[in-house]
Amino acid sequence: MNGFFSKMPRLPFHIVKRENCPLWMKCCFYLAAIVIALLAGALVLWAIDVDPWDYYYQMFTMGAVGNKRAYKIYMNYIKEFLPLALTSVALSLAFKMKFWNIGGEGQFIMGAVSAAFVAFKLGPVAPAWVTLIVMCITAMVIAGIYGLIAGILKVRFGTNETLMTLMLNYIALYFLTFIGETKADWNFFLQEKSARPVFESFKDIVIFPSIPLGEKFELNVCFILTLMVGAIIFVYLKYTKQGYEISVVGDSPNTAHYAGMKVNRIVLRTVFLSASLVGLAAAFKVGSSGVLSTSITDDVGWTGIIVAWLAQLNTGMIFIVSALICVLQFGSVNAASEFARVDSSFANMLQGLILFLVLAADFFIRFRIARTKKGE
Amino acid sequence: MDKLGVITAFIHSIVAINIPLLYGTVGEIVVEKSGSLNLGVEGTMAVGAIFGYICGCLANSLGVGILAAFLTGALCGLLFALLTVTLQANQNITGLTLTTFGLGIYFFVGNSLKGPDWPTLNNAVNVKNGFADLSIPLLSKIPVIGKGLFSHNILVYLGIIIAVALWWYLKHTTLGLKLRSVGENPAAADSVGINVKLMKYVHICLGSGIMGLGGYYMALLMSGSFNSACWINGYGWIAVALVIFANWNPSLAIAGTFVFGFFNTLRVSGSSLAKAFPALLGWLDKIPVQLYQALPFIITAIVLVVTSIRNKRGSSGLPAALGTNYYREDR
Repeated sequence: MNGFFSKMPRLPFHIVKRENCPLWMKCCFYLAAIVIALLAGALVLWAIDVDPWDYYYQMFTMGAVGNKRAYKIYMNYIKEFLPLALTSVALSLAFKMKFWNIGGEGQFIMGAVSAAFVAFKLGPVAPAWVTLIVMCITAMVIAGIYGLIAGILKVRFGTNETLMTLMLNYIALYFLTFIGETKADWNFFLQEKSARPVFESFKDIVIFPSIPLGEKFELNVCFILTLMVGAIIFVYLKYTKQGYEISVVGDSPNTAHYAGMKVNRIVLRTVFLSASLVGLAAAFKVGSSGVLSTSITDDVGWTGIIVAWLAQLNTGMIFIVSALICVLQFGSVNAASEFARVDSSFANMLQGLILFLVLAADFFIRFRIARTKKGE
Repeated sequence: MDKLGVITAFIHSIVAINIPLLYGTVGEIVVEKSGSLNLGVEGTMAVGAIFGYICGCLANSLGVGILAAFLTGALCGLLFALLTVTLQANQNITGLTLTTFGLGIYFFVGNSLKGPDWPTLNNAVNVKNGFADLSIPLLSKIPVIGKGLFSHNILVYLGIIIAVALWWYLKHTTLGLKLRSVGENPAAADSVGINVKLMKYVHICLGSGIMGLGGYYMALLMSGSFNSACWINGYGWIAVALVIFANWNPSLAIAGTFVFGFFNTLRVSGSSLAKAFPALLGWLDKIPVQLYQALPFIITAIVLVVTSIRNKRGSSGLPAALGTNYYREDR
């Protein structure tokens, strides 16, 4: 048994790091990954007697083609897209620094609860625009502080931030369910009249306004705000000193230290910024729906990580990738109503498959396989 | 029910409800000791659960179920190993994706079979009987705690045996020592002739297989009733937390399982305890359920901080190379 683990078979090839991979080649690899994933998905569909072509058509068009209520579909789609894109952008900030903030879920929840708190308490007495701004700021600060817990522990004691933020996610989740399931006098988050615990809506008090475009289609201001934040972060990462510091610390904290950067300060600042933007996404979400829910996050904290990685932490790409992932998720729920045999969880499988294959494609972009010459 | 009976039932539940945590934790310890942080425990357990349950019921055999759960769990591990060990993919991302993917498979397979075709435990008599409690002679006759601790189904005993065996393996065998060296410093292990990649592959698959068993246990515990909430329901994440609590030691994981299990069980049977002892434990009814649910994570967060402070003094079981991929040419 021991010998088994120490034998070194000589393979006729080995892997070498690729110096640089041309863009067209990258695109080919990623495209191949997606096509293979879709083909594998088609195989599954075919195995359970569903026409893959029909299904994919229904999924990718989200049932909007030839539908009179297509505007409604697009509006709902945008509602799902915004929090995901913004959360993902926020997380990418920390990831760039190789700080594994997987606490998006928890930070989102903290942001959402504090935004709702402001809406209930300040909403009735202040003008709407003041309330909305205070909602955003409070959500950002609270979520930022929640993220900062893991940051401070990491800097001070070297606590593993992946595991720490993971724990904080669940603590926040049960905090939210506690608020959502406890009927009590102090609990103004719930409806007073209902006997069962149901979240009270603050739609009538304050809500992010929508801009009507055309006859029926409406666009929430959050859409424009999210795009603006995205653009600012793009510039921040690419053209500012602070953005540069993030990438240096990410590449090598030692280099950053020798270059005279205050590494701890940069880490804390970036973690705060990352978490507070997740909080902003949460404020946008509750602020435009007007009600909390125990599943307020829609898993954006998790999916956002995957999106950020798929987009290789590139802010522009994050918007494109989250738009695509939303098509998968939103479209599969839609298609599930047409195809009774295919569960909407098919999207999760497909999403997983795509990412697995993209990760594999990544390998071929970073490395190449070379023949081993004799005597090497 | 008499008052002592309530206590016995409570002790019995602590063990019976929480053994899946032990499987998940021990499996993850094996994986992490090889230097890989696999965040796909939840997904791996879900895959093991659904395939173990369905195969076991169709074959009407507990053994087939166990085997299927182990193999499908190991297959998830193989996928993880292929991506992170050979293809150098990021471990956090791969693990999280594995969870998404695994839960996707779980619901896809479950929802496709749901309805009249769903295999029920009542039709699989052998599985049902195989999962029944077995009393250990003599020990189970001890008053109060005997029935609580020493009368359980075979998978409980199997879980304890696996945990102790792996503790022995890691601590007292040459191969276990080699495994730990791979997790601590793969480059050094490589230089003394240990096949790092093979070590990682084998142990990631082994650990993931054990997680799959935990999933299968969970499926049987839920009597296979499939609904919108996953059978695993966060146990996989608690297992990730428990690994830290147990300080990467499989035998401590048994203790950790029961500590976490204690709170988990209070959530379920706290009210019956409160009823039996109103004067002493009446306050149990007043504690919100969510606090019990959050407690494992709060405790782990504290343990994590304490561990990291202690780690600076070098007495923690945290594998030094945890979470980093090994690429020989980078040496």
